[in-house]
Amino acid sequence: MKGLAAILLAGGVGSRLNILVRHRAKPAVPFGGIYRIIDFTLSNIGNSSMTSVAVLTQYKPLSLMDHIGDGSSWDMSGRSRSVKIFPPKTGEEDWDWYKGTADAVRQNISFVNSVKSDEIMILSGDHVYHMDYRDMVSFHRKKGARVTIATIPVAWEETHQFGTAIIDDNNRIVEWEEKPPKAKSNLASMGIYVFDRQYLISLLMESKEDDFGHHIIPRALEEKVVYAYPFDGYWRDVGTIQAYWDANMDILNPSSGISPGSWRIMTNINAGGPPYDRPPISVAGRAHIERSIVSPGCTIEGRVENSVLSPGVVVKAGASVRNSIIMHDCIIEEGAQLERAIVDKEVFVGAHTTIGIGDPNVANTDHPKHLYSGLTVIGKQTIIPDRITIGTNCIIDPMLDACIFPKEVQSGTSVICSKP
Amino acid sequence: MAQVLAMILAGGRVGELDVLTFFRPKSVLPYGGLYRVIDFPMSNLMHSDIENVGILSQYRPFELISHIANGEPWDMTGRQRRAAILPPFQGRGSSDWYKGTADAVYQNIDFIRLNNPEIVIVLSGDHIYRMDYRKLIEFHMEKKADLTVAFTRVSPQEGSSRFGLASMEDEDSRGGRVTEYKEKPKNSNLEWASLTIYVFKTELLIAALKDNAMNSSHEFGKDIIPALLKKHRVYGYKHAGYWGYTRTIEEYYRTSMDILGYKPKVDIRSWELRTNMANDSIRDRKPAFVGASATIEDSFFYSGCSIEGTVRHSILFPGASVEKGAIVEDSILFFDSIVRANARVTRTIADSACTVSAHSDIGDPGDTLTVIGMDTVVPENIRIAGGVMVHPKLKAGVFTKTGYTAGEVVQ
Repeated sequence: MKGLAAILLAGGVGSRLNILVRHRAKPAVPFGGIYRIIDFTLSNIGNSSMTSVAVLTQYKPLSLMDHIGDGSSWDMSGRSRSVKIFPPKTGEEDWDWYKGTADAVRQNISFVNSVKSDEIMILSGDHVYHMDYRDMVSFHRKKGARVTIATIPVAWEETHQFGTAIIDDNNRIVEWEEKPPKAKSNLASMGIYVFDRQYLISLLMESKEDDFGHHIIPRALEEKVVYAYPFDGYWRDVGTIQAYWDANMDILNPSSGISPGSWRIMTNINAGGPPYDRPPISVAGRAHIERSIVSPGCTIEGRVENSVLSPGVVVKAGASVRNSIIMHDCIIEEGAQLERAIVDKEVFVGAHTTIGIGDPNVANTDHPKHLYSGLTVIGKQTIIPDRITIGTNCIIDPMLDACIFPKEVQSGTSVICSKP
Repeated sequence: MAQVLAMILAGGRVGELDVLTFFRPKSVLPYGGLYRVIDFPMSNLMHSDIENVGILSQYRPFELISHIANGEPWDMTGRQRRAAILPPFQGRGSSDWYKGTADAVYQNIDFIRLNNPEIVIVLSGDHIYRMDYRKLIEFHMEKKADLTVAFTRVSPQEGSSRFGLASMEDEDSRGGRVTEYKEKPKNSNLEWASLTIYVFKTELLIAALKDNAMNSSHEFGKDIIPALLKKHRVYGYKHAGYWGYTRTIEEYYRTSMDILGYKPKVDIRSWELRTNMANDSIRDRKPAFVGASATIEDSFFYSGCSIEGTVRHSILFPGASVEKGAIVEDSILFFDSIVRANARVTRTIADSACTVSAHSDIGDPGDTLTVIGMDTVVPENIRIAGGVMVHPKLKAGVFTKTGYTAGEVVQ
């Protein structure tokens, strides 16, 4: 939709992703081999022919800024198209960190004023889904809404994590509950909003409230101008380690509904990579690969099953990777075995070391709510020595030296950097 | 380093490559599961810090133009950097189609003068090799040569009547003065074959080209080098690394297969190549998917590939797919080629966007290759033997027989 502008809230910490967000914001977490989580939203923007996007960052924005670059990866560069990154800045009065979603937009009200479209979209960079925003804006116009919120039915036990809507026969939202302990409706907000631009400006200027879900939406509701746009496709908030692993595994299942290829999801393949183009995937004579995603620059000599491999991963002869997510440039040495592991970038796994084998039900003692189903997470750039065992539900910190590891890391325990 | 301008001869089409060059010059022939042949000199130039390139092209240049784009993939954009495609043009005088390699450069003397380099390096766009041209240029400067030609050692049987062959003095390990040069001699015991890489002093090049323009054959190898050998300091530079030709279908196939295997002749992963990732939308392809029933051995493939069948000792370009029960062996599948369920493809080069339909059987394990031109659809249950040439853009209905034997051409 030509001329349509969006504000993309990419400040999320996503702390439940634990060490995966130690060095990056949630939207910058790698996903599905070659992508990052924010690519889904950025590609939806590009594929909806939108013109102008402001990305609001706050938490560890470096890898995100590097990734977004000039926006050309999503066809958002040129004379009339742009991606602008807005970090928090000093206001007229004081140093202003973004205090909430509405506050973040308010602090960048000059962007909202500068664009020319009648509507403006507010999006989050945290979710995996495919949506043509033009359809949502058409719906918004047809209903004569001033605010439209994309909604999706979620499992009742998850409703406490969302804003939920009760709607009338005309899809107008008549009641709104923000993260209710006991929800009356399971129709959840996807964090995707269409606002009449002038209406948004007046809502934000009339008050000093910080959050869309808690403050702004309830106020607009009173004026009976808020509608729910129904969405029933694949949509995941990959905000927990379990949800993140599940969504990656969904890509291996053609009937799951996620399809980055046919959704035309685009990414910046150069950011952070080597100064040359990653070569094709090389598979040796004695390798075995089944039911897996493999990215450019990978060299496979061992076994890879039911796994998602990012660019540049090396799986040496006799090594085995099963049900795992292995990020960029990891080296899995000869005879190593990985099961249900999430391995961040540039990790070295020594020869004949085993990871993730054991009782899946021993939850992590430090973070029992993060790791409880048998997944093990290894932090970026850690060097794991030869011939050790690491159990299930373990958290291994980023950037650890080989010498810090005991012979056996028991299930449910963590290896943490002892340095301050 | 001296001011250097590179001129790449990229325009030609060679009859021996047959259907593979119906719609593209040989310099943009796909190579190695991702690249085009011209990526090799372009990446070599980039790694050698040579940032001004003229690319001479006249045969079906569309794919070449879109591949080179503005030179940005090789960092050749900016105020002092450029990759310019130089097509033939009509001038006020007798400008015309390029009549030969030397004539192509001769017609672009203005471009050379505009860049005003001290040295011009002339390269071919159709070889697979890795070379740091800075070392070659350093040698050229050190020897105060007027012209330096790069050579690789071949056996006389291999080299005769195919290459420009030379002997040179044994000055140092890098090379020496050229004492004898013959272009494609019938019988010869000369063992240094020209790589058609020439380093010229600019003024000498321009003078030699002007002389040559009066003659008839307009080729560097045939005319210019023998002529300069008499009066000027012509040096030979020995290239010790890999050198791959792509001039015939057999040569192209052999050079391609050199990237496969344990300790391959071409360890392409270490060559730090760049290509144009925007071309063929390479960069927007989803990562490769390998299905539960797949077997892949000793092969290369790239994003956009989907493999559910068996792939052995083969190279698959972006978007190629092999369905369940299909077997692809000793073959090369270009961009977006599809091998349908239970089809078999052996020792075959399938050009871009080909389809081999279910239960068809293409090629033989013998030595003669089968080639399928781009955009052709081979219908179901067809048997095409080794050594068959299938033309591009054929609809399934063109295949009136159920079997084709060696030497046949389907068109």
